[in-house]
Amino acid sequence: MLAPLNQKSSMENKFSKTITYVDDIPDGLVLDVKDDTSLLLLLASFGSLSDKKITVNVGRNSSFRGVFADFSSSSFNFSLNVNLNGEGGECEWRLASLSRGDNKKVFEPSVTHVAPRTQALMSNYGITRDSSYLTFAGVSAIPHGSVKTVTRQEAKIIVFDPLSGGRASPILRIADNNVDASHAASVGRLSEEHLFYLESRGVSLEEAKRLITLGYLKPIETYFDDDSIKARIDKAIEGGL
Amino acid sequence: MSTLSIKNLYVSVKGTPILRGVNLEIKEGETLALLGPNGHGKSTLLAAIMGNPSYTVTGGSITLDGTDVLSLSVDKRSKEGLFLAMQYPSEIPGLNSADFLKSAMNAHREKPMKLFEFYNSLQNAYAEMQIPFEMSKRNLNEGFSGGEKKRNEMLQMLLLEPKIAMLDEIDSGLDVDAMQIVAEAIRKQQAKGTGFLVISHYARLYDMIHPTRSAVLINGKIAVTGGPDIIERIDKNGYEWIHDEYGIDIEKEIDAPMNTVSIGACATKSKIVNGK
Repeated sequence: MLAPLNQKSSMENKFSKTITYVDDIPDGLVLDVKDDTSLLLLLASFGSLSDKKITVNVGRNSSFRGVFADFSSSSFNFSLNVNLNGEGGECEWRLASLSRGDNKKVFEPSVTHVAPRTQALMSNYGITRDSSYLTFAGVSAIPHGSVKTVTRQEAKIIVFDPLSGGRASPILRIADNNVDASHAASVGRLSEEHLFYLESRGVSLEEAKRLITLGYLKPIETYFDDDSIKARIDKAIEGGL
Repeated sequence: MSTLSIKNLYVSVKGTPILRGVNLEIKEGETLALLGPNGHGKSTLLAAIMGNPSYTVTGGSITLDGTDVLSLSVDKRSKEGLFLAMQYPSEIPGLNSADFLKSAMNAHREKPMKLFEFYNSLQNAYAEMQIPFEMSKRNLNEGFSGGEKKRNEMLQMLLLEPKIAMLDEIDSGLDVDAMQIVAEAIRKQQAKGTGFLVISHYARLYDMIHPTRSAVLINGKIAVTGGPDIIERIDKNGYEWIHDEYGIDIEKEIDAPMNTVSIGACATKSKIVNGK
């Protein structure tokens, strides 16, 4: 099984092809990952983002990893549809999103296990501040006949400020029995217990909140090799705190 | 010499009174064994001293060298020299242990530590607690075994060097070897003059750290105080003799109300904005 966001991924780190978009993410993008190849799609957004729809078709024994560091300052609907069309196909999706101001951000990262013996992990982490609202509503679909598939949807949101909110609704649509499917969702304020633990060591409330937030968003950085992008993510996280 | 002084302390949890007039004093250099049946308020006392927001102080006072502890935020209590090793240390997802320890150590100093000095201290503390230094790169307490968490608590105590350290069942989940390591860390701090308030259900830890005094908390009050001989007596005979000798009826476990649990749609969570 693929590892959660803050753990090292089990997926091979060498990809046949890497595509990176910083800020200028195209709408209507369609990517084909041919048989026995792999694709890494790195997305980072720091400015204003509009609605986007991306489709990825993954062939036999192929891998797709999508990573999105979203620190954009606008409202939008982001939709990702990954079709695992060939046996042995893999998909790993990692999202970290910081939502601020009065932005309403909707993420729908979905995967369809068209072929049997495919696996996918869709992992979404978010923080909402001010009066913003974040929605994670991905669908993992396993049609009839797609046996021996493994799929997991994770959606976690920390609601930071009293006027902000979030909805995490990872959906599984399963039409066959012989599959391993799971989903997890959590939306909540910063844990009082966690804050108390950190404060009891002398860390101020503000610093404790900063440390917890860093822990939530910073792991996305590990998927980027480019130091200038890492630096921008660091800056965006610090700015958001 | 530092003195933690607790006078006529009343504490409630979700409206249920747990502590009902606790009087206790711990001085730097002393080790006080805090005993008592389950559910009578031992952990509540330690949590209230440290300022856990789930516990409401409804009466009485806590002072450290004359400073009103109850008026201080939790982090300031730590900076004043109080430390609580928790029974169930929190796992903090994504928070690197070393980053956290650096923040905690710097919070206790006027000027941030130099990186070299910090790593030196860190390496020494990990070596003393016999925790592989590699674990400093892991997320705080995440995936740690029960014993590793407890040793990690003591590691923090060594790094922060408190005036008064409170240990809440630090020996639970420890094997014999780990118990020796933890006891050695306590003895080291005892030699430096740190005062200890120690809760344990087992005489074994107390045998290793030699408390100077004992206090027994029953029905939310200190029922008996005395020397370390009380530990042995309770270890052998339980608490019934307190009823026989002092005429105190030991109430059954004081139950704090449980958290309200609600079960919603499967794996769908939403936060209602602004209470609506």
